[in-house]
Amino acid sequence: MTTIITEAPRQARMPRSRAARSRGGRRSAGFWTYAALVAVLLGSLFPVYWSLIVASHDNDAIARVPPVLTPGGHLFENIARVFDTTAFGKAMLNSFIVSGSVTVSVVLFSTLAGFAFAKLRFRGRTSLLVVAIATTTVPHQLGIIPLYILMAELGWTGRLEAVIVPGLVTAFGVFFMTQYLSSAVPDELLEAGRIDGCSTLRLFWHVVVPAARPAAAVLGLFTFMQAWNDFFWPLVVLTPENPTVQVALSSLASGYTTDYALVLTGTVLATVPVVAVFAALGRQIIGGIMSGAIKG
Amino acid sequence: MTLARSGPRRRWAYQLDVKGSPYFYIAPFFLLFGAVGMFPLLYTAYVSLTNWNLLEPTRHWVGLANYAELLTDDYFWNALFNTVSIWLLSTVPQLLAALFIAHMLNRSLRARTFFRMGVLLPNVTSIVAVTIIFAQLFGRDFGMVNWALDLVGLDPVDWQAGTLSSHIAISLIVIWRWTGYNALIYLAAMQTIPEHLYEAATLDGAGQFTQFRKITIPMLRPTIIFTAVVSTIGGFQIIAEPLLFQAGTGNPTGGSDRQFQTVGLYLYEQGFSLYKFGYASAIAWTLCLIIVVMALVNYSVTRRIRRS
Amino acid sequence: MSAAKLRLLVGVLAVGVLTAGCGGSTGSSGDGPVTLTLNLFGNMGFKDLYAKYEAAHPNIKIVERTSAYNDHHRNLAAHLATGSGAADVEGIDTGFIAQFRAQPERFVDLRKHGADGLKDRWLPWKWQASVAKNGAQIGYGTDVGGLAMCYRRDLFEKAGLPTERDEVSKLWPDWASYFEAGRKYTANKPEGASFFDGGAQIFNAMIGQAETGYYDASDHVVVATNPVVRSAYDEVLKAVADGESAKLVGSSPAWNTGFAKSQFATIACPAWMLAKIQDQAKAFAGKWDIAAIPGGGGNWGGSYLTVPAQSKHVKEAVDLITWLTAPEQQIEVFKAHGILPSTVATYEKPEVKNLKNAFFNDAPVGQVFTTAALNLKPQYQGPRAGDIQTAIRDAINRVEEGKQDGPQAWEQMLKDVERIEQ
Repeated sequence: MTTIITEAPRQARMPRSRAARSRGGRRSAGFWTYAALVAVLLGSLFPVYWSLIVASHDNDAIARVPPVLTPGGHLFENIARVFDTTAFGKAMLNSFIVSGSVTVSVVLFSTLAGFAFAKLRFRGRTSLLVVAIATTTVPHQLGIIPLYILMAELGWTGRLEAVIVPGLVTAFGVFFMTQYLSSAVPDELLEAGRIDGCSTLRLFWHVVVPAARPAAAVLGLFTFMQAWNDFFWPLVVLTPENPTVQVALSSLASGYTTDYALVLTGTVLATVPVVAVFAALGRQIIGGIMSGAIKG
Repeated sequence: MTLARSGPRRRWAYQLDVKGSPYFYIAPFFLLFGAVGMFPLLYTAYVSLTNWNLLEPTRHWVGLANYAELLTDDYFWNALFNTVSIWLLSTVPQLLAALFIAHMLNRSLRARTFFRMGVLLPNVTSIVAVTIIFAQLFGRDFGMVNWALDLVGLDPVDWQAGTLSSHIAISLIVIWRWTGYNALIYLAAMQTIPEHLYEAATLDGAGQFTQFRKITIPMLRPTIIFTAVVSTIGGFQIIAEPLLFQAGTGNPTGGSDRQFQTVGLYLYEQGFSLYKFGYASAIAWTLCLIIVVMALVNYSVTRRIRRS
Repeated sequence: MSAAKLRLLVGVLAVGVLTAGCGGSTGSSGDGPVTLTLNLFGNMGFKDLYAKYEAAHPNIKIVERTSAYNDHHRNLAAHLATGSGAADVEGIDTGFIAQFRAQPERFVDLRKHGADGLKDRWLPWKWQASVAKNGAQIGYGTDVGGLAMCYRRDLFEKAGLPTERDEVSKLWPDWASYFEAGRKYTANKPEGASFFDGGAQIFNAMIGQAETGYYDASDHVVVATNPVVRSAYDEVLKAVADGESAKLVGSSPAWNTGFAKSQFATIACPAWMLAKIQDQAKAFAGKWDIAAIPGGGGNWGGSYLTVPAQSKHVKEAVDLITWLTAPEQQIEVFKAHGILPSTVATYEKPEVKNLKNAFFNDAPVGQVFTTAALNLKPQYQGPRAGDIQTAIRDAINRVEEGKQDGPQAWEQMLKDVERIEQ
């Protein structure tokens, strides 16, 4: 990269302020960094943009070659049709309940387990971690039949529990947090805490949780996103009367001919809340928060 | 912080805390997983030893017959080859690009949240939209990629028909969907690297690239191991991308000659098009074994990254 | 995010966990009002009829759930296999009926509810397709697709072929003359516009007219030995070799684009495809027209309503599907949605018989599609017919893609079919 601007000497202890957060500022981005990032971003944004374009036209826009690239005037009409065709409002609410519960649970339990696996010594530590990771290697698509049998036994089919409970913990999350915390929390700090007489729970709360925040935000984001976009299992176990967003989207897709404008309007609407969560959690990922906490 | 009070009761509590509390922390995961995750796994293992077909009322115990059949099944080996090929073509560039993007995102940027969240958008985009987009891009007659090839004087490619061409196209979809995801994982880890390491290196006159190689990479070691293992698991289970590459056309055979049918897609075809659940379960468990082996290989490779 | 906001967020999400238990529970008690659920796919056009039925049956409440085509049938298979989760009424498409008919014990046998007396309502082949091996009647037909040959007048004119639909129909009384017309067309074809869309689609139309297709009446797969299959295969590949095919895979995104980009001049089209062509190719209004299908009869698509054995309201559900599929209701659905009835009596009604379509140059669509449906001879379909169809489609595609020659692709296809049979 072209320029590396070294910042003015940092104060020994910065308060946890906005200045402290922007510690990335040590190496400012130059022109080429921006150029590369903008290129990456354009590639990432294009499909979303294009979905929006199609959503603002009527159904024949999808097949036009060269593709339509400018917005049309049908967006609101298409949005109205989405809400007419399916229980989309309820679907949104359901998806929030499902994704929100799953996210809180996954982040909490993964951080707890990750802390134990990364920083505490106990019998069977390695083998238990390997067992946890190994469970992710079985393709879960097939699990839906036995899971369905289980849910039918519990009387949960068609209910949100059927989607929430299987998602409450993930081995991915445990592995993720283990790896992150193993490098993010210095052992010396924990030792010092121990010597001060802190219980492990206090260490967890006062040292690990602050240090885990950027990773917790990333994990939360991923978990929310995956729960929001999961469709295979919800489609089997839920019904269109009590749908998640993805189930509602499925009922938008018609039998013989697909109304792409309608479907893509639905997908755009379904993406908006996730982007909102991005914006909320995105700030958490910005670094610096933990550096103050560890030193402070 | 409170100083430790001395006394036997206190010491006993301390011992219990140190020895016992780790189990308490991992218990929620294992209890919840055992309650809902374990049953499907064991059930699938059992089903793999039967000839269960969803369309038939009865099923019989067949022992290891499904596994024996699998070993001589050309389509399985073909699918395994395709899986490895697509995995290699997609994972290596994807992780390198993710590291690089994370490195750029880790600088002081204007609109940084926007950039950081923007790279994750492909992963949020619903699979319906992705399907439509990539069909447009890789179309044989009117696709944008072939149009671009034509501009520079190259012959158009029938992306779906060829083995290598379909693998490249699918890998590009994978790279597009998952690079930002991995970049954010790296980014979160990069932010734990202590500032003073870079400051010292800068004082020593180390350039940008040297700092990246000597500080960033070694410090990211656990995270790189993590992404390598997770990408192996994800890459070997890949279903969505090859499935959407064949959108709208019935059974998921992965092309006319199964040229891009991955093991995951084969499993899906057997399980949900032909409803052969016994056989599909055997594929699932075999795939699981392969993934464990591959993940271990990857783990040992990435573990060799030098500790800082 | 500030700590306070974060706490608020966590609080809101935690409430979510707690209230999740209230999510809609379904099902109804044995006494009093009965709620009937229908699991359908796509738009089967019944929505407007429910109110009328509910008015006539005050104790019945009807709830329709709609999902996408593949999801619907996959879920139905899972719900039947696990013995729970199916609705009181399940829709099944023609492409899946043979597969579900193979498990008659999972559906209510409509003969126990007076099916025999209703038999004459339907086209014979439509009726036959939902009769199981053991004689059980598992469903009542809703709509059919019929089959015609849609063609582009403008492209035919440029290639020097007749353009009037009667003359065009005369051009191809059978498939050999259709391919012959294709050769003439291809000799003068407008740039980029092949004669037909793809070999596999034409093959399906051809094989659908045979007395015996992939199965004999005792459920044996006869793909390898039935001369009709091989000759249709060879004929199609000959036409492909002659350059008549646009080499598009049916229902793929590229095939959809093909309409807008005029990549083919003819396509075997069922009634429900007309709306699709109008949608995809708006610019070609009046340039499309509809002739008879070579060989005279055909069908693509159409559905059935069934009652799974696990339904808790069998009698009410059977009454409902009997009513929904009756000619009077089919006429209503046809008038509102253009979905072609499967009951013979409706074909004489002026609304059906005299229907024309302006987009297709005022083609008499009512008459064309009902004729094709009436002319079609029943063909026995075995449970795996759909999977065999896919194997043959892939074989034809391999040849179209230039990866194999006809005999090689055939050999490989036979091996695929053998595996499917097991």
